[in-house]
Order: sequence, then structure tokens, then C-alpha cells
Amino acid sequence: MADSSFASAPLGAPAPVSATAPAARGRRRMLRALVGGLVVALPVLVIALGIDLLAPGHYRHMASIAMINLMIVLGLQVYMGNSGIVHLGHSAFVGLGAYGVAILATPVAMKALSIPDAPLGLAQVQLHPLGAALAALAVVGVIALLTGLIIARLSGVAATIVSLAFLIVCHGMFLNWPALFKGNQAFFGIPREIGFWGVAAAAAGTVVLARLFRESRTGMQLRASAQDMQAARALGLDVTRLRRRAWILSALICGGAGVMFAYLTGTISPRAFYFQQVFLTLAMLILGGMATVTGAVLGTLLLSVGLEVIRRAESGLDLGFVALPQMLGLSGVALGIVIVLGMALRPQGLAGRLELDEYIATTLRRGRSTAAPGTAQGEREK
Amino acid sequence: MEYALQQLLNALAFGAEYALVALGLAVVFSIMGLVNFAYGEIIAASAYAVLLAVAVGLAAPLAAVGLAIAMGILASVLLERVAFRPVRRAPLTTGLLTAFGVSIVLQNLFQLFISPRPQALPLLNGLNQTLMVGPYAVSSLQLMQLATAIVAGGALVWFLNRTTLGIAMRAAAGDFATVRLQGIRADRVVAAAFALSGLLAGIAAVFVLARRGSVAPDMGFMLVLKAFVACVIGGFGSLAGAALGGMVLGFIEVGLLVLLPAEYGGIKETLTYCIVIALLLLRPEGLMGTRRELGDKEA
Repeated sequence: MADSSFASAPLGAPAPVSATAPAARGRRRMLRALVGGLVVALPVLVIALGIDLLAPGHYRHMASIAMINLMIVLGLQVYMGNSGIVHLGHSAFVGLGAYGVAILATPVAMKALSIPDAPLGLAQVQLHPLGAALAALAVVGVIALLTGLIIARLSGVAATIVSLAFLIVCHGMFLNWPALFKGNQAFFGIPREIGFWGVAAAAAGTVVLARLFRESRTGMQLRASAQDMQAARALGLDVTRLRRRAWILSALICGGAGVMFAYLTGTISPRAFYFQQVFLTLAMLILGGMATVTGAVLGTLLLSVGLEVIRRAESGLDLGFVALPQMLGLSGVALGIVIVLGMALRPQGLAGRLELDEYIATTLRRGRSTAAPGTAQGEREK
Repeated sequence: MEYALQQLLNALAFGAEYALVALGLAVVFSIMGLVNFAYGEIIAASAYAVLLAVAVGLAAPLAAVGLAIAMGILASVLLERVAFRPVRRAPLTTGLLTAFGVSIVLQNLFQLFISPRPQALPLLNGLNQTLMVGPYAVSSLQLMQLATAIVAGGALVWFLNRTTLGIAMRAAAGDFATVRLQGIRADRVVAAAFALSGLLAGIAAVFVLARRGSVAPDMGFMLVLKAFVACVIGGFGSLAGAALGGMVLGFIEVGLLVLLPAEYGGIKETLTYCIVIALLLLRPEGLMGTRRELGDKEA
């Protein structure tokens, strides 16, 4: 079918467009996005259920980390996938979220040992974990608002470089403000409030959220501006404002992932939120395809599994007949090769342009129209 | 007075190094729109070539300088052929991410085959001596950096304005299609840009080696990041802007070094980037950049 390449082509019989009010059409579009988001989130929950029921214990932890990575990749997709601007500083927001709850929710007795000299009397404060999470997200939101004011004004390349500079600024702050962030040492004793299913629910919820944003008015306008900036401006779209909104939502999602990470592991250190994580999540998004939420999910799934295999090899592998030595850096090489080959061979990623539900719908429709072209045609004309 | 002169030279030398690297980035960007994140690894490759040469017993400083520069050119041209040619016509984002991937691969290959830890390489430390100019103690390396940057900048201006290839490169920066219609081969212009960029990387590698006395997988990455920031300050794609941005960055860094008490040394980087961001707030398109109107190249 010729129109299969248009992601937003109406799926069922086209409604009499002129008769419907724009508001109703918008509502129907968001409803379809909600259903689509749930379809994409379903595999995440199914895999989580499978691991919960079948896999041995330590796989649960690995899967939890993978699902937190999924949240980060989704956060990246919200900004990068919709605006078309490369973002390399998202891990800074993950770190801010994680350190936010670490500082606010860790028991006072623990903080007396780790950060006794915290400014503003933060060493004597202990919030309820939920309150701490909300406060951390509020801080992330404010910082995202301020940085968004600058980033959204810059052209594509400059925005990328400044996002990277922002990552370095935040990392430098974590390292060089030991009174608040404990510097290079691990920040431990964070209450472990979130379990496997908490992370799974958050990841699935984020999938739906990212999908809703993608199909929302802002998301669609932003995607239009990424395809043709001049046309978008000519239509009167305020591209700066659209980018700023995506930047803030992306930061909040990444910050939320950081909160989850801190509550899951109970221990964080600045190194976890630096280039290593940026490379990893970027490679995941590129492999799957940054244009769609489905791509984010697919890339995270494939690379999480693939890297686990490579990590085994990295720490020395015994193949029975020959024992390979320890090979530090192998996973890094693999990540880089995934990015380079992905860009050269399939820049749109494995998932391409279509979301999972759109792909299913297109395939079904195509199957129906080849099986009984007459009926499909008849239905269309009614 | 002496202190002020010392710091001025310091700032000029830092600025010269950033300007050299920023020029190497801008030459490639202005012609083919590639944000070459792998540039730092070209610098590192030059340094590792010297390390290997010393390991097999070739330990003449002058030969090492030649080797570093040759390796820079070779690595740069090779990367263009292998990694960047397939994405030449792709959107800017694709090229940027490709370069980012190449950078990760190379950094990790250095880790895998040589070592994740810095390796001592004192061969070129002789370049860094303290000279007495009248009553002032100055570093010979800093003087050399400054002189090299001036010579390299001058040579670049001459090359771009007086030679056919140079003029073709400048024309290509404006409109590649028209350059090809004049019968000039695109591959040759692009290869020349990468060779030029690699040459500058080789020179930068010599200076970095002389200053650090060691090589490490990520030795180029942070320097190139600074150079990118210099490009952003100056206006991306403008050669003069890259040189100016490098100098501005050098002055900001040394200025902070002078003004900040020693115990706050750690936040120098952070503050530098904050100042840069503030600069961009005033001029989002960079100091020498021009605001492109609708109908020009994509903003």
C-alpha cells in the first residue's frame, strides 16, 4: 500500500474530517496515542513478569537496572527524537535526581557520618521518600527551566555542545562540592524504597508518557519543526518554546530515572552519571531508532541483553579449549561500533518510523486488503 | 608586573592551543558540516604513535615531532575514508553521532590494546624548559605554542587565499554543489580538509605531550571539548571565530586561575563553562557568527 510510510495516516475508515470539531479530533488522537503507548508498554511488563516468575534472583536486579536505563533512553527520546537535536547531557539530570533524593531522604544519623557539613542545614533534614522524590524533581525542573532558556535558543550544533558542557559542569559540581555531594566517594545509606515492580511500573508509565508527548500538539509541532524549520516558522510555530518544553519533560523523566536508581540501589557515585551512561543510553536509542518510543524500548532491550554477554567476555572468558584474557574496553568498542554502523547502515534505527501499534495496524490492514481487496475497498467507501 | 606578564603569556599560550585545535575542527565543519567528535582521538593516536616508536627504540625528539604530525594526517584522512564518507550526504545529526561513535571506539581500542592507565612518555619534555628573557622567567613551550599558532594561522590564511585547493575549499564551504560543477573533485577537497585538520591535530599532540609527559586514552577528548566550546563561542563554522574563541577561552581560564583562591581550583572548569554559557546568552550565534536569515542554509 502506497501510504504505509506515513506514520500518522488514519488507521480505520477516515472520519468526515470537516464535520468534526478540532477539539474532538485532538481528543481522539490522544486516545489513540494512549492505546498505542499501552501497546508499546505491554512487552516491557510481559518481560518483567517473565523475569519475575522464571529467572534466578540476580537477573531481577539486572532487569531493574535495564528498566531504569529504559527510562533514561525514553527521556532522551522525548527531546532528541522529537526535536532532532543531539543531546549528550541528559545524564546530568539523572545525577541531579539521584543526588536530590540522596540528600533529602537519607536518614539523619547516616548523614551525620557522610555529609555533616551540608549547607542550609540539609544534614538535619529527612523527608518522606515520596516528598524527597517530588522535591528532587522540582529542583530538576527548575534547573531544566533555566538551562532550557539557553539551550532552546541555540542552533543545533551549539545546543549539542552546550548540553555536553552542562554534563561536565554538573559532574564537576558533584566532585568538587564534597560538603553536599560527598565528592568522589560513594553516597550510601539512601533508603531502598523501590523494588523490581516499582521500577517496572515506572518504566511502563514512562513509555506511555513519552508516547503521549510524541502525539501531543507540542510533540507533533516539534517533529514538524525538526523536519523543516523554515516551514514550521512560516506556520507561526514558536520553535524555541516547543524545544524548551521537550527539554524540560526530558529532564524530568531523566531525573525520575535517577530517583528510581537511588531508591533501588541505595548507593550512588558521580561516575555513574557521566560519559559511560551517556554512551550507553545514546547507543540504545540509536540502535532502536530515535524517532519512535518503540525504538527506545527495542534498543534498550537488545543492547541490555547484548552487553551482558559482552561483559562476561570482558572479565575474561573460558571457552573450554582456550581462556581469553580480561579485555577492558570491549563493551565500549561494541557500543561505539553499534553507533557507527547504525548511522552508516540504518540511520533511522531498527524500528524506523512506525510505532509498534502502527506497525501492527499497517500489517493487519495490508493482510486484509490482499486477502479480500474487494471488501476492504467497500468498507473504505462506506 | 612580572606576575601580570607571566599570566598574560600563560593565557596567550592556552588560548593558542585551543585556537589550534578549534581551527582543526572548524576547517572540517565549514566544508562538510561534520562535527568531528573523534578529533581528540586523532590527537591521541599521534601521541600513541610516538609511544610505540619509543617502545621500538626510535627515541629522537625531532623524529617524534615528525611522526606525530604524519600520524595525525594519516589518522584523519583514514577516518574520513572509513567512517565519514558513508555519511557525507546525511543530515548533520547523523555525522555528529557517527563521529561520537568513532570517538568511543578509538578510546576503547587504546584501552584494550595499550592500557586504560596513562603511560609515561617523557621524550618531548625537553621542549618545556624555563628560559630567562631579561629578568623574566618564561616557558619555552609556551613561547613555541604561541609562535606555532601564529605561523599556523598565517599559513592557513595564505593557503586558503592563494592556492587553488585552498580557494576551492573556501568555495566548498559556501556551496559545494557549485564547486563540483566547476570540475573540482569533491573527494579531493574533502580529503584536503581532513589532511589539514590532521596536521593541526599532530601539532597539538606534540604540545600536549611536551606538557603532560604521558599519554592516556582520553587525553584528547577533554581538550577537543574545550575546542568545541571555543568554536561555539566564536560562531560555529567560522575559522576566524574558532581562533578568536580559542583565545577568549584561554583568557577566561587563566583569569579564573588568577582570581580564584587555590582551594577552589576544582571548580575552575565548572565556572569556565558557566561563563561560556553566559556569553552565549548574550550572543546565541557566537561572537563572529551571523544570524542566518530564512532561506539561507538550515539554521
